[in-house]
Amino acid sequence: MTVKATRRTMLAGAAALALAPLAARAADPIANAKITPLGGMVTGKQKKGPWRIGFSNGFSGNSWRAMCLAALKQEAAAHKAQIADLIIVDGQGDITKQVNDIEGLINQQVDAILCIPNSGSAVANVLRDATKEGIVTVPFNLPVDGEAWTTYAGTDPTNKGMALGQWLAKALGGKGKIVGLGGLPGNSYTAACWAGTKEAFKGTDIEVLAMKDAFWEEDRAKVVMADLIAAYPQIDGIWCDGAQDATGACKALLAANRPLVPVTGDDYNGLLKLYAADKASQPKFDFGLMSEPTWESVIALRAALTLLGGGSVAKRQIIQPGFITPANYRQYIKADMPDGVFVDTNLDDATLKRIFG
Amino acid sequence: MQSRHGFGNSLIGLINRIGAVWVAVIGLYVVSGAISPAMFQIGQVLNILQVAAFLGVIACGQTLVLLAGGIDLSQAGVVTLVNIVAAEIMGGHAANIPAAVAACVLLALAVGVGNAITVTRLGVTPLIATLGMNAILYGGALVYTGGAPHGGIAAAFAGIGAGSVFGLPSATLIWLALSAAVAWITRATAFGRALYAAGANPVAAHLVGVPVARTIGIAYVGASLLAGAGGLLITSYIGAPSLGIGEQFTLTSVAAVVIGGTALSGGIGSVVATVGGAIFVTELASFTTIARISTGMQYVAQGALIALSVLAYRAVARARAA
Repeated sequence: MTVKATRRTMLAGAAALALAPLAARAADPIANAKITPLGGMVTGKQKKGPWRIGFSNGFSGNSWRAMCLAALKQEAAAHKAQIADLIIVDGQGDITKQVNDIEGLINQQVDAILCIPNSGSAVANVLRDATKEGIVTVPFNLPVDGEAWTTYAGTDPTNKGMALGQWLAKALGGKGKIVGLGGLPGNSYTAACWAGTKEAFKGTDIEVLAMKDAFWEEDRAKVVMADLIAAYPQIDGIWCDGAQDATGACKALLAANRPLVPVTGDDYNGLLKLYAADKASQPKFDFGLMSEPTWESVIALRAALTLLGGGSVAKRQIIQPGFITPANYRQYIKADMPDGVFVDTNLDDATLKRIFG
Repeated sequence: MQSRHGFGNSLIGLINRIGAVWVAVIGLYVVSGAISPAMFQIGQVLNILQVAAFLGVIACGQTLVLLAGGIDLSQAGVVTLVNIVAAEIMGGHAANIPAAVAACVLLALAVGVGNAITVTRLGVTPLIATLGMNAILYGGALVYTGGAPHGGIAAAFAGIGAGSVFGLPSATLIWLALSAAVAWITRATAFGRALYAAGANPVAAHLVGVPVARTIGIAYVGASLLAGAGGLLITSYIGAPSLGIGEQFTLTSVAAVVIGGTALSGGIGSVVATVGGAIFVTELASFTTIARISTGMQYVAQGALIALSVLAYRAVARARAA
């Protein structure tokens, strides 16, 4: 396999992404996905099929992971002639267990290993071992240190943050006071998103009153926002990297009889439902959302199959997710489904109903 | 030297009279208000009391178990599972509220009975028994939902945790009523006396005829039922199911009780002081948000305060004995 990844090509790609238009996404999100190749092409060594594919999931305890897994299984079923076996192992949020899981997949001599790492540094060595054994290794969603894996698929959170920041600055007319609500304390995803947003805020008159952890949980966000409402009489906008936080924050504003304001986040159905319910009475309510697509697993599996068939894929496939605003939210909202659905999905309603009971 | 002793004695006397935790609650309030005047707003006081209600109800149950000389780390799991089950059964319809509440009460009751049997009949250490139960409950929630919780509460149910009565949050009123009832049970009934006796010295209590195993067992059932009530309140407050909703209470339920002055060794403490402990923990979290202190520092402060509380209460107890 040949790999050419340079910092310059990555930066050039990132710049191209930043300039990409924020267009509405049509019905099939994958067919219409904007994917930027970075770091040169990787060509696979053709292996005789049908292949055995392993998936090391870092953990499975939330609806994003449940949808991601369902998308993977659906895609595997669509390629059943090529795939003899799909072995799924769950790291249960444990770094050590995930390394053991991947070692187990190597011992089972699978042809490819897909992986969402619990820690990008912890799995780097074991993925290198797998790659050396001739296994196609495809980390996705969260990056893995170094380059000793075959190919990667995921979004660029810095770029997402930049897009969200640009949207919020525009929504506020370039000036105003905002608060930020992030995910789990110390997580790299929120940090990268926020770094991108701060870059986007440069040259504007946006004042950041506070940036707090809200755990990507509605209840935590509502409690934190209630405190921020007490502390700051004027909050013109709310920055979030996940819309569970945005939804909890909006519920806190409603509880305090304060008007809803522009918010950012991702493709969490709860916020779209809240908008549908409250837009008539909340003239300032506005949102700019960018998903972390649950169908990243499909891109990862397709990359593995391409490489096992002797084809080529980019070293890094950087997915530019769709942008959801009041202008196009009707394409996405799942009005009769739970808040926890991530609406930028390739799963049909019947499958979603099965996942969400 | 004499005057310093005099000051020390009068400080200890003051703390003894009104309770150390209330001195801490008022002290933190004054300090945080001086740093962030927003803390002094009446709206923020009500907000703290509302958020403290969820922790307060759960910690009220934890107090029972700590008084009995045990600990219940499965309360977090009960909160999560109750949240998931309530949202699922309710499915947004008011007609389903009784069924959802009944199912949650039964669930909490089953968990409490399970803990009671494991600890008192099978002799498993409370820490391990309830930690294991917590893992079972969280695992159960994962299996039940497949990682994707569904359902939601009925609009009428939101009034319980998010509504207000005469300007006071209804969750707070429920919390205070439950705490008053449990305080009365622990202070004025035979069960209460047995609870303190069993926690302080189970062997001696047994010798004087206290039904130790039954008393401790009831404490676990009470803790679980109150965790269930706390789970229903927070579910009502937020309106949506979440697999991570209970996790925060593993540490904070114990922190609120210990900061309230209940001894981890059992037999010493009070439910009323836990009310102060719950307010203190919530006040601290609220202050760290308003003062823009990081979550990491909030955890450090919380952990340090648990250790400091234990040391301080021990020192006060020794001074009182001397």
